[in-house]
Amino acid sequence: MNPIPVIIDCNPGVDDAIALLLARQLSELNILAITSVAGKVSLERATYNALGLMGFLDWDVPVYRGAAGPIFRNRVEPVNVHGSESMSGFDLPHIRPVVENVNAWDAIYQQAVQWQGMLEIIAIGPLTNLAMAFMKYPDLPRLIKRIIIMGGATAVGNTTPAAEFNIYADPEAADIVFCSGVPVHMCGLDMTMKAFMTSSEVDQVAEMGSKQAAFFRNVVQDIFTPKSDLGIIGINMHEPAALLYAADASIFKAYPAGIRVETKGTLTQGKTVTDLFSDAKWPKNAFAVMDIDRDAFISKVFKLMSNY
Amino acid sequence: MVHRIPVILDGDPGHDDAIAWMLAKASDQIEILACTSVSGNQSIEKTSYNARQVMTLLGIVAPFAMGRERPLHGEPIHAGNIHGETGLDGPVLPKPEIEPEPLSAVELMAKTLVSSKNPVTIIATGPLTNVGALLILYPELKSKIGHISIMGGGLAHGNWTPAAEFNILIDPEAADVVFKSGLPLTMAGLDVTLKALVFPEDFERIRALGNPVANVVAEWLDFFYSFHRGIGYTGAPVHDAVAVAALIRPEILTVKDYYVQVETTGDFCRGATIADHYGLSGQPTNTHAVIDIDREGFIDLLAEAVAWYGEEQA
Repeated sequence: MNPIPVIIDCNPGVDDAIALLLARQLSELNILAITSVAGKVSLERATYNALGLMGFLDWDVPVYRGAAGPIFRNRVEPVNVHGSESMSGFDLPHIRPVVENVNAWDAIYQQAVQWQGMLEIIAIGPLTNLAMAFMKYPDLPRLIKRIIIMGGATAVGNTTPAAEFNIYADPEAADIVFCSGVPVHMCGLDMTMKAFMTSSEVDQVAEMGSKQAAFFRNVVQDIFTPKSDLGIIGINMHEPAALLYAADASIFKAYPAGIRVETKGTLTQGKTVTDLFSDAKWPKNAFAVMDIDRDAFISKVFKLMSNY
Repeated sequence: MVHRIPVILDGDPGHDDAIAWMLAKASDQIEILACTSVSGNQSIEKTSYNARQVMTLLGIVAPFAMGRERPLHGEPIHAGNIHGETGLDGPVLPKPEIEPEPLSAVELMAKTLVSSKNPVTIIATGPLTNVGALLILYPELKSKIGHISIMGGGLAHGNWTPAAEFNILIDPEAADVVFKSGLPLTMAGLDVTLKALVFPEDFERIRALGNPVANVVAEWLDFFYSFHRGIGYTGAPVHDAVAVAALIRPEILTVKDYYVQVETTGDFCRGATIADHYGLSGQPTNTHAVIDIDREGFIDLLAEAVAWYGEEQA
C-alpha cells in the first residue's frame, strides 16, 4: 500500500515532539510537511523546536510557520502543562531553516492541490492553521481526504471541566474545522487518557540506547506527573496516539458522531459537544475515537523506537 | 417501627415518575408528606391530572399542589413523543380522588417544610422549577431540607440535546440554584438511568403479580418501551425510579462525588451538567452522582414494590 500523504500540524511542545519522533519511523505515512502553530508553547518556540527536531532526526521535511494565536481571541497561556519550553535541556541541532514566504495555510493548500484529494491532515495542536486555510480557500474541503485531530473530549475536559486544551485554545477555529465538510476523526481525551505509558515502559524505551530513546525518556520524564487519585496512572501519550491512529486505526475504536464546538457557554467554551445518540440527531460530520488497545499501542511505540 | 424518611414527591408524571412514586409509596422507609407537579413531560394541566390519578391508584393520601405553567426562565418544552398525548398514555387510570390544594406547589412545599419536625427529603423527578423556586423564595427553610434526590442531568452526555438531559434542559436556571444550594444532593443522571433498563421479560414478571397496580405498571412499561424500542433500546429506561432507589436501596448503586455545575448559556450546552473530574476548579464536591446500578437488584426492587400492593389489598 502506498503511504498516506499527510501534513502534521503541531505545537512542539514535548508531547508533540514525541509524536514527531514516532512519525519519523512510520512507514504508513508520507509526511510532506510540518506546520507549526501556537498552543501550549508560543509559535516561535514551536517553530524553533520543530526545526531542531528535524535536525536531530536528520529529517528533510519542510517546516512552515503558522498562526501565532487564535483567530478571535487572545492566546491562552497554559499553567502547569508542559512547563518546559525547551526540550528538557536537549541541545537540538538548529541547522535547518523555516520555509520563508509560505505560511502554514498556503502550504496546506498547495499540497492539497498537488495530491488531488488524497491529502490527510494530522492536527495535534490548536486548529487555527486549518481554519485559516478553510477561510482562504473555499475549494479546500474537497481536496482533503480526512483530518485527524488530537483534541476535545466527548465527556470530560482537562483544561476546564468541560474542555480539552487544544480546542479550548481556539474554539472558533475548531468549530470551523468540524463544519468544513471534511470528516474529522477526533482523538480526544476519551481515548488518549487510555493511551498512557507506565514509568517502567518508559524505562524500557530508554534502555534501547539510541540518542532518540534517551531524548524520549528525558522529555517524558519532564511531564510525568501521575495522579492516581484522579485515575492518571502513567504518562498520557495524547498526541502520539492520534498520530498512530492516522497511520493505522485498527487498534482503535471510533464511532460516527455529530460534533460541534461550544464557543459561547459560560462553563463550556471549547467543549466538543458530541452527539452519539441524542434525540437531536445531528448530522454525522466526524468520528469520535473512544478506545484504544493499550497493549498493542505500547508494542507499536516500542517497535518504532527500536528502529532508531 | 422503622424510622421513615419524610419526603415530598415532586414530578411531572410521566411513566417513569409514576413508577418512581409507586416505589416510594410501597417502601416502609418513606413517609410521603406531600406531592407536587411540575411542567415537563407534558403541560402542567396534564402532569397535574396524571399526578392525582397516580396518587389515587397508589393510595397516596397527602396534600397535592400544582406547579407553574412554565420554567423559571424560558419557554416550556414537553415530551409528548415519549409519554403520549396525556403525558401518561397507556392503561385506563382511576378518576382522581385527590383535589389540588389552593396553593402553588412551591407554597405547599414551604408549608410542608415548616410543619415537619424532621428535615425533609425532596425527590424531584421532573424539571427543577419548583425546587429552585423554593430555594429562591424561602431561603430560611433551607435547613429544613435534609436531602434532594433528583433524576436529571448526565455527566457524560445528554439525551434531548447532545449535551443536555431533558429535566435540566427545561429549566437550567432552576437546576443551577439547586446544584449551588450546598444541600446534600443525589443526582441520578443518564450515566446510571440508561442502565436502569426494564426488559420485556421483566414486564411479564411484574404483570404476573396480578394485582391492579401490577397490571397498570406493566402496561406503563409496555407503552414506555414502545417508544424506546423504536430508537434502539433493549428495555424501558425507568429513569426516575433511580432517584427513589438511591434513598431506599443504595446498596444496588455505585455513587461518586463530584463538583457539578449547570451550564445555562451557550449555543449547544444550555442545560448541560458539567462535572469536574480532575479537580480543576479546586471546588469541594457538591453532588453524589449515581453512575452505575445492579440491574437485577433494581428489577427485584420494582417487583417487590409492586407485590406490596397485592398484600395491602388482600
